[in-house]
Order: sequence, then C-alpha cells, then structure tokens
Amino acid sequence: MSEPILDVRATTKSFGGLKAVNNLSFEVYEGEIVSLIGPNGSGKTTTFNVITGLYEPDSGDILFKGESIAGLSPAKVYERGVARTFQMLRLFAAMSVLENVLVGMHGRTRANVLDCMLRTPRMRREEDASIVRAREILEYFPGRFPEVRHAQPASSLSYANRRRLELARALAGEPSLLLLDEPVAGMNPAESLEVMRQIRDLRDRGYTILMIEHDMKVIMGASDRVIAMDHGIKIAEGAPTDVANDPAVVEAYLGRRGADTAS
Amino acid sequence: MTLEHIFGLTVSGLTVGMIYALIALGYTMVYGVLQLINFAHGEVFTIGGYIAASTLIWIGVDATTPLAVKFAYFGLALLVSLVLTATLGFLIERIAYRPLRNRSRIIALLSAIGTSIFLQNLLVIVFGPQPIIMPTAVVPTGFVEIFGARIRVLQITIIVVSLLLMALLTWIVKGTRMGKAMRATSQDREAAEMMGIETNLTISFTFVVGSALAAIGGFLVAMYYGSLQFNTGFLYGLKAFTAAVLGGIGNIPGAVVGSLVLGLAENWGVGLNLGVLAWLFVGGLLLGLYFQLVRAPRFRIDHIAEEFRTPAYERRVRDVYRFAPVVALKTLFAERTDALLYVSAQHAVRLTAANVILLGLAVLFFVNGDVQFASKWQHVISFAVLMAILMFRPSGILGEHIQEKV
Ligand SMILES: Nc1ncnc2c1ncn2[C@@H]1O[C@H](COP(=O)(O)OP(=O)(O)OP(=O)(O)O)[C@@H](O)[C@H]1O
Ligand SMILES: [Mg+2]
Repeated sequence: MSEPILDVRATTKSFGGLKAVNNLSFEVYEGEIVSLIGPNGSGKTTTFNVITGLYEPDSGDILFKGESIAGLSPAKVYERGVARTFQMLRLFAAMSVLENVLVGMHGRTRANVLDCMLRTPRMRREEDASIVRAREILEYFPGRFPEVRHAQPASSLSYANRRRLELARALAGEPSLLLLDEPVAGMNPAESLEVMRQIRDLRDRGYTILMIEHDMKVIMGASDRVIAMDHGIKIAEGAPTDVANDPAVVEAYLGRRGADTAS
Repeated sequence: MTLEHIFGLTVSGLTVGMIYALIALGYTMVYGVLQLINFAHGEVFTIGGYIAASTLIWIGVDATTPLAVKFAYFGLALLVSLVLTATLGFLIERIAYRPLRNRSRIIALLSAIGTSIFLQNLLVIVFGPQPIIMPTAVVPTGFVEIFGARIRVLQITIIVVSLLLMALLTWIVKGTRMGKAMRATSQDREAAEMMGIETNLTISFTFVVGSALAAIGGFLVAMYYGSLQFNTGFLYGLKAFTAAVLGGIGNIPGAVVGSLVLGLAENWGVGLNLGVLAWLFVGGLLLGLYFQLVRAPRFRIDHIAEEFRTPAYERRVRDVYRFAPVVALKTLFAERTDALLYVSAQHAVRLTAANVILLGLAVLFFVNGDVQFASKWQHVISFAVLMAILMFRPSGILGEHIQEKV
C-alpha cells in the first residue's frame, strides 16, 4: 500500500499516573473510513486531542502526509488539513449559523483589521468568496439550513442540526482528514442512518475519515477498517466483522463485568 | 434643585461614565478571552495619560502656540501614547500572563496584582511621586449653555470621542475577521484553536485594543482634571472594574451600560437632594410592578406546555404573582404544590420584597427630601448601586443568565 495519510507511531499521553493513550500505533490511508472503538474512558477522545494538537504526546510521533505534526499548535494542525468535530458539541453558541462556518475558514483568509477598515478590494473579494463558500457548505445538508436560519444564533438550532453545523464548520477548513467524535451520539435511528450515508458520501468526495463511534450499525455500515482500544492500548484492528468478533474486544466490552463478578 | 442643575449633573455623570467605559471595555474584553481580571489595567490607563502629558510637556506647548500647531502636537502626543501604551499592554500579556496561562486562576491573579504594583512603582521611579500637570494650553476651555446649564466643551468632547471609539470597537468586534476570532476565542478558546484560529494572536490583539482605549481614557482624564498621579489608576481601575461587573463581565455593551449607570449614580447621588432621588425609586418601583404584574406571569404562562395550559391554571399562575403576599406564601407552605407554581411563588415573593424595599426607600427619601448626601459618600453610593443590582441580577445588567455552551 501507499504511504498513509495519518501515521500514529507509538504515541503515549498520560495524565498524572493514568496512561490515557499508551504506546498507540495505527495508520489511516487516503480515502478510508476508519472507526475507533472502545469502552468508555479507553482513550479515544484523548487520541483525537493528541492528533489535533490540543495535547502534546509524551512520547511517540504523529505523521500527517509524511510530516510530523506532534507538538504543533491546534491551529497549525488544522491548517495542514485535519479538522474535527466534538463528542460534546462545541459550537460558538452566540454566533450565527453562517458565522460558525466562516470561523472554520478563518485560517484560510488573510484580511487584517486595516484591510477591513479600508475595505481593500482584496479583503472584499475574500469576504465575498468566503460567504459564497460557506453557503455552499451549508447546502450540503439539503433543507437543514435554509436562508432564514443563516443569521440565527447557533444555539437556536435543534440538536441534530447543531451536530450537522459542527460538521459543516469542520468542512469549511477544506481538510483532507476528518476526525469525527461520535457523530451520531444522541441521534435517532433515522438520523443516524442519514449521517452514515453522509459519511460515505464524504469519503466519495475525497475526504479521509477517522471516526469514534459506539453505534454498531454505523460502524458496520460505514467503516472499511476498525481499530479497537481499551485502557489506551490498541487491542484489535481489522475488518469490522473480525474486530467485532475478536475475543479481546468482546471481553473489553462485556467480559470485564463478567470477569469482575466471577472473581 | 433646578432643572439646569440636574442637567449639569447628568452631563458630568455621562462624562465620567464614558471614561469609566473606556477602561471597563479593556477589563471586560480581556475577561472574555482569558477569564482573567487584568488588575494591571488601571495602571495602563494612568501610564497612557502620563505618556501623553509628558510628551506635551517635553514639546513645550504654551498659550502662544498657534492653534494649528497645537492640534498637531496634540495628535502627536495621542499617537505616542497610543503606540507605547498598546505595546505595554502587549508586553504585560506576554510576560505576566502567558507563561502562567495553564496554571490555576489564583496564580494569574497574583501575577496581575504584582504587575499592577510594579507599574505604580515604575511611575514613581520615573516621574516621582508628585502629580504630573497637564499643560493647560491644549485643553479646550470653552463653555456652552444648554438648557441653562453651563457645559464645558471638554465634556462634550469626551462624550463624543468616547461614543466614536465605542462605535469603532463594536464594528471591529462585529465586522472584522479579527473580531470574529475574538468572539470565537471568548466563547470557547480550545475549539477556536482547533478551528484554525491563532488564539495567542487574538489574545494579544485584545490586550492591544484594550490598552489603546485605556490610554485615550488616561489622556482625557488628564485633560479633565488637569493632573494625574501615580495611583490615579487604582481608583479608576476599581470603578471601571465595578462597572464591568455591573454590566455583566465579558459583555461589551454591558461594560458601557454599567459605566454610565455608575457615572450617573455617583453624580446624581451626591449632587441631588433626597427628594429628587426619590423619583428614581418611584421609577424603579413602576418598573418592578410591571415585572411582577405583567412581564413575569406572561413569561411563565408562555412556557407552560400545551397540554397543561388551561385557563384555570393560567389564572392560578397569574394570581401567584398578583396577590403574592397571600397566594404566593400560601402556595409555598401548602403541603403539595405543583413545581411550576412553587418556583413562580418563590419568584413572586422575591419581586414583592424588591418592590417593598423600593417603596420604602422612596418614602424615606421623600420624607427627608431636603437632605443631601455629602460628597464623601460618592464611593459608598456607587458600591451600594452595585450590590443592589447584583442582588437581583447576579450576572449583571446585560450578563447572560447561564454560561451556555452547545
Ligand atoms: N484532560 C484530562 N485530564 C485528566 N484526565 C483525562 C483528561 N482527558 C481524559 N482523561 C482521562 O483519560 C481517560 C480516557 O479518556 P477519553 O476521553 O479519551 O475516553 P474515551 O475513550 O473518549 O471515552 P468515551 O467513550 O467515554 O468518550 C479517562 O480515564 C479520562 O478520565
Ligand atoms: Mg470520548
């Protein structure tokens, strides 16, 4: 196979004595949908936080398109083309729907305060182009963000639409790798199905996707490959059905309770 | 108590309020992006004034200088002060706050207080403990008569300049790319960072803008009172901080509203006799009654779910507010009460208490109508206003009720 787009190499991140991510290695190849699964507290979100630069890894390295991104600031990682959504929604609640998407483009625009003050042609061109692109991105969710909603604050949206808006904001950075943290959490089955289709559609449009998910239907239906974690360690990797039937994974999810009562 | 006296006090109140606002904006913006009270901000304000005044002293402007040249010198002093003070604000963040960014809140607070003391001492070392006197030649001395009151041209200048600056700031925050970054950073710094915003740059920008506003405030105060002392910023900083809290810390329009309320309270409080001040309480009482009898019950009723919304239930909610002393208390002590009625009853009792206090104060003030607070009560009054408002609106006048994150 070709060179991976994301290469996590023996990465460790601990909090105090707790190794939330422990010597973790995996690769994601261009055009793949990879799911990261594991019981609660197994270090999935922490893995995302380390990749996106929120935390610096204690050891190990992370390569994106062949270059190390470990230790870069989140803004720099984003600029390289890694965008994410959050498990607990983190929209800018008081900003409008359109502005939330525009924030996602921030790193790609250059106008400074002076440009804005003088309304230089460069700034106006940039602003117009950003707004056109932001609308285009919102139209990717047909019927969800009609014109009238664009100026409303993000906090006024329904829960599912807020999740969609987070995805729209992530797309605004024109990333090549999308990290989705539990994209269907709190959604009903119909909405989950829609998100699953959308994730596959995004892959067809050229995005590479690494997602954290608990919903088995979505994992089975969308992912090409699954990586299972427990206590910060990778315990299985492979095709969805293989991983789901892997004894170590079954034990991590179910067996621990059984083992506890047995002992 | 003539009308022109009241008008004169109002203009003074607005003038002082505007100056508070120029400082309070810096407090509130920094709090927005860092959740930090930048206690050194009062000193930044003083230093802004000192730099402007000493530039003018150094140039040597006097009464014989032609008007056009005076304007040029004035502009130069402003520019020097803006550049140096903004740089100072930038450096304070870089040196005193950024290295401690991920430590506990209390450590940043200590650093802020330390910086404040350091800057005050620096002023004493460089300029000496005596006040610096603003060259009077550049200060507009004219008066205009409005509604029979003599208003200083300088007061009008201060109010107009402040309004222009606030308009400019509003536009920066709402209309520019940097402003968008500021708003995103203050709502969720980590998320903003992960969406490609260089939050460090944004935070520096916030300090620069806040310090520039404070510098202009310092310059205006030096002109208004004719002099500045190394510790002037302490009291002004404290007042402006109070104003920012009063308006809702972190809220930009709130800082302006809080500052104007404080400026007016200080001037009206000691300039008017109690008989006139009583009318403020009458106004407050009317507002309070409107809340209790109209606004609050309507709000509750609007939020009752469709299926429970019977006319009888609506009337019960309304009665709790209307006849609070009897119905609300009865509801509170009843054996079993509906949760909504219970909450409404608590609310109604609180509103009634506030209205009774307002009524009591109005009567008390009317009865002693000829008495006037001595001017040494000024600070007591401003803090009493703060406490009174925060008692009923803990998040400040325009503050958000809950820190909402979605
Ligand atoms: N900033 C932090 N400081 C201290 N401990 C942390 C921090 N972030 C995560 N942890 C701990 O690291 C462990 C892994 O957390 P993480 O959020 O990565 O789990 P997760 O796999 O995403 O779980 P979930 O399925 O519940 O989202 C947990 O024990 C958590 O308490
Ligand atoms: Mg998680």
